[in-house]
Amino acid sequence: MVSLFILAPFAAALILNLLPKALTHRLAFWVAAGLALAQAALVAFHPLLFWSAYPDPLGPFFNLQFSLDGLSLVTLLSIAIVVLATLVAGRYTITEESKRFNFTNLVLITLMGMNAVAMTTDLFSLYVFLEVCAIALFILIALKKDKLALEGAFKYLILSAIATVLMLFSIALFLLLSGGVSFSVIYGALSGSGGGFLAKLAMGLFLCGLFIKAGLAPFHAWLPDAHSSAPSAASVLLSGMVTKIPGAYILMRLVTSVFPLNPQMQNLLMFVGVFSIIIGAQGAFYQHNFKRMLAYSSVSQVGYIVLALGCGTPLAFAGAAFHLFNDAISKTLLFVNACCLEKETGTVDMDKMGGLGQRMPITNFSCLVGAFSAAGLPPLAGFWSKFIIILALMQAGKPVYATVAILASILTLGYALVMQRKIFFGGLADGLQQAKEAGIGLVLLESALALVVIAVGIGFAFMYNNFMLPVGEIVF
Amino acid sequence: MSNGHSLLIIVFTPIICACILPVLGKVSAAFRNYLALAAVLVSFVYSASLLPLVYKGELATFTVAMPLGFDFTLRADSLAVFMACVSSFISVIIVLYSFDYISHYRNQNEYYSFVVLFLGSMMGLVFSGNLVFLYLFWEITAITSWRLIGFSREKEHALRADKALLMTVSGALLMLLGFIRLYLEAGSFDLAAIRLALQSQSISGLTVGLILAGIFSKSATLPLHTWLPDAGIAPAPVTALLHAAVLVKIGVYAFARIFIVTIPLDLPWKTFVLVLCGISALVSAGAAYRETDLKRIIAYSTISQIAFIFLGFACGVQIGVAGALLYILMHGLAKAGLFLCAGIVEHNAKTKDITRLGGLINVMPVTALAFLFCAFSVMGVPPLGGFFAKYMVFAGAMEGSSFWIVSVFLLGAILTILYLYRAFSAVFLGELKISASREGSPVMVFCVALFAALSLAGGILVNYPGVLARYTAQQMLSWAR
Repeated sequence: MVSLFILAPFAAALILNLLPKALTHRLAFWVAAGLALAQAALVAFHPLLFWSAYPDPLGPFFNLQFSLDGLSLVTLLSIAIVVLATLVAGRYTITEESKRFNFTNLVLITLMGMNAVAMTTDLFSLYVFLEVCAIALFILIALKKDKLALEGAFKYLILSAIATVLMLFSIALFLLLSGGVSFSVIYGALSGSGGGFLAKLAMGLFLCGLFIKAGLAPFHAWLPDAHSSAPSAASVLLSGMVTKIPGAYILMRLVTSVFPLNPQMQNLLMFVGVFSIIIGAQGAFYQHNFKRMLAYSSVSQVGYIVLALGCGTPLAFAGAAFHLFNDAISKTLLFVNACCLEKETGTVDMDKMGGLGQRMPITNFSCLVGAFSAAGLPPLAGFWSKFIIILALMQAGKPVYATVAILASILTLGYALVMQRKIFFGGLADGLQQAKEAGIGLVLLESALALVVIAVGIGFAFMYNNFMLPVGEIVF
Repeated sequence: MSNGHSLLIIVFTPIICACILPVLGKVSAAFRNYLALAAVLVSFVYSASLLPLVYKGELATFTVAMPLGFDFTLRADSLAVFMACVSSFISVIIVLYSFDYISHYRNQNEYYSFVVLFLGSMMGLVFSGNLVFLYLFWEITAITSWRLIGFSREKEHALRADKALLMTVSGALLMLLGFIRLYLEAGSFDLAAIRLALQSQSISGLTVGLILAGIFSKSATLPLHTWLPDAGIAPAPVTALLHAAVLVKIGVYAFARIFIVTIPLDLPWKTFVLVLCGISALVSAGAAYRETDLKRIIAYSTISQIAFIFLGFACGVQIGVAGALLYILMHGLAKAGLFLCAGIVEHNAKTKDITRLGGLINVMPVTALAFLFCAFSVMGVPPLGGFFAKYMVFAGAMEGSSFWIVSVFLLGAILTILYLYRAFSAVFLGELKISASREGSPVMVFCVALFAALSLAGGILVNYPGVLARYTAQQMLSWAR
């Protein structure tokens, strides 16, 4: 049953390419959007038991095992929302029809890869599906095919290849140590022997690979370049979800069910988390390019998730999963804003914008909501997840990390304000006399996402009880 | 209808109206204005209707259980109701004043929406019985005031608004850290539960310091005060609302709520607060004496007067606490009046530089008189309301703190007289320098006259608010025991 999440996008991508182009070019968006919508609805309205009640036909056939738990559900829901937003953003910002068709197909393949990563139970297929996403993404970043786009894609390709080598090597080591690659086998072997040097090496290598893929500091250099050269719609996907899959979901999965957390690793994770929070926030401060600023902000927000994982208490895990969801939504929202701004002004340079608040009030409002949520201002969604993470850190007796994390919010707020001032306040900048709201589709999308951020903030109890508590419970 | 529900009405009528106002404004501006006024009025009326209840010694509560101990609790005790009545009442007059003052500005929809939202979140803050929601509403007031200060969206305005937001949010984040430490020590975010849990033990100094940082940043106490004079760039009703009546009182209220009612301060911290406020009172009074911008003078005056309120609360004596409560009311009325007068001057004379103004009493006599009465009240001239408040605060301070601290504040009070007299004489007396200026519109003049009359009435009929303040102080100190 759960393999539908993988089979359906795969089949859709296949069929769309087999049918005559005249038909599929029009159909592609609706098919893909329908799939994403269906996934969101299925996940949101069906409890965990529903999914485990039906046997999975694909597993025995391919000798693959998929399973779902609370963490996977949150991730699948976030994936569905981000993919839907990406598709809508792509539909209205990519003008060339054949390019748009390719875009939709690539997004479908990424959807398949991400869904599979979120449900797989062995390290090797996790690696394979992660590569599926990465390859689709190289092309998405290079979609414009100009010099900058190719450069960004190339950078990502090289760093991703390094990550791949590290992870593959680590998987080989795990295979050597435990005789298998499934999570439970490795977990058994590692907890039995206590983990010697090889085990530590393998863990370290795998973590490095993940940090690169997630764009965590000090491996974050590729992320701003990739974002600034990719089409805005692809950035939505990249920042909204693709960097969070390795940075948050896989990491969470690993430390809960593959290699148990030990104090050293906790310290490592917390340090990388705090380091990313500060480097990302500080980097964002000095950007003139809106998308680069958001990319740095993304580094900083994934840092919070990693910090919480390092803390390792159930409350921290719940907070991490919550922040995964919240940041996916708010980053998606901000990149959709970037789509709108780029479409109307033809630039993403904030110095060339100004006074757009009067021309694009809805974009202004939603951008404010997204940025303030990222800065953790109540009553928006981001406040609750950050608050839970900081509460967990304090409870676990890590006051220094908590203090740094809470004070970094000031930096986040600082660049959010700079962004507001440069883009939306002041007098209308030269050459923007024609600027207006960017079409009904994008406006609806950004208002819907802003509403989600506000609604999750107000109805946080619902989210917490239904999605985050199960995540906290799977841990121990 | 139960009392818990009237709490919901007090808090959520403005918040919900704030969402409707921008849409309504597209249909009919007049209707929007009246709805904004009605929303604030509803809050006031329902707050006032709780007065008899809380002065019988009962509590009204409303609770929704939430995970992690983040229960949404609204609790009305006499302190909360007193504070709610004062802020919503002053807001009603300020909204009325805005009808004319704001009518030629752009983005009026936003203005009304944020003013009403501000009041709603203020009410939420006042009634919150849970630290998490206290913080939540605290930050909403910060966001709304950010937007209101940067209302005109010019670069200069936006920069100053950003400064105000960054300073208050930084303080609030430290305070949040303090709240979490308090939670770890007491095991709950609920204020009543914290009071029970920490009855016999004292809390760590770091926790107190962190919470005080938040309080002082919000109430613009030295050295976290610099955002307040800068924020004077906003339209006059906004500065009246933010500086005088409501926003800066949030810090004072939180101080009373946390450090008097819930966990009494120990002596070293008490001395620290008193000394810091003494310095704050003197330095800002000195700054007010040097300023030439009318609104900045009044803003510095606010910083100075807030220190007096802290003095009343921190000394922990019944007459001092009652005086501080009365001070909140009297200072709110008088300072709102002063800001609105400054608004009329700025509106009609097109400048707020006191060196270029003069002799305005000839062209705007009512405004001048209103300014004078409000200034008298702030100075503490009998028989205006400010006199009684100041007297009670000093009486309490003599009993609860040292002679030296009282004499510092006394010096601050003398400086108050000097700088307000200087401002008044420079703006209204002497020779008329700007001949084109004229009296403000009837509604605006009515509002400032109302504030002046209320300051006077508050003094002559001081018994009525005085009884409430005394009773509230008695209740607060009895809980603290």
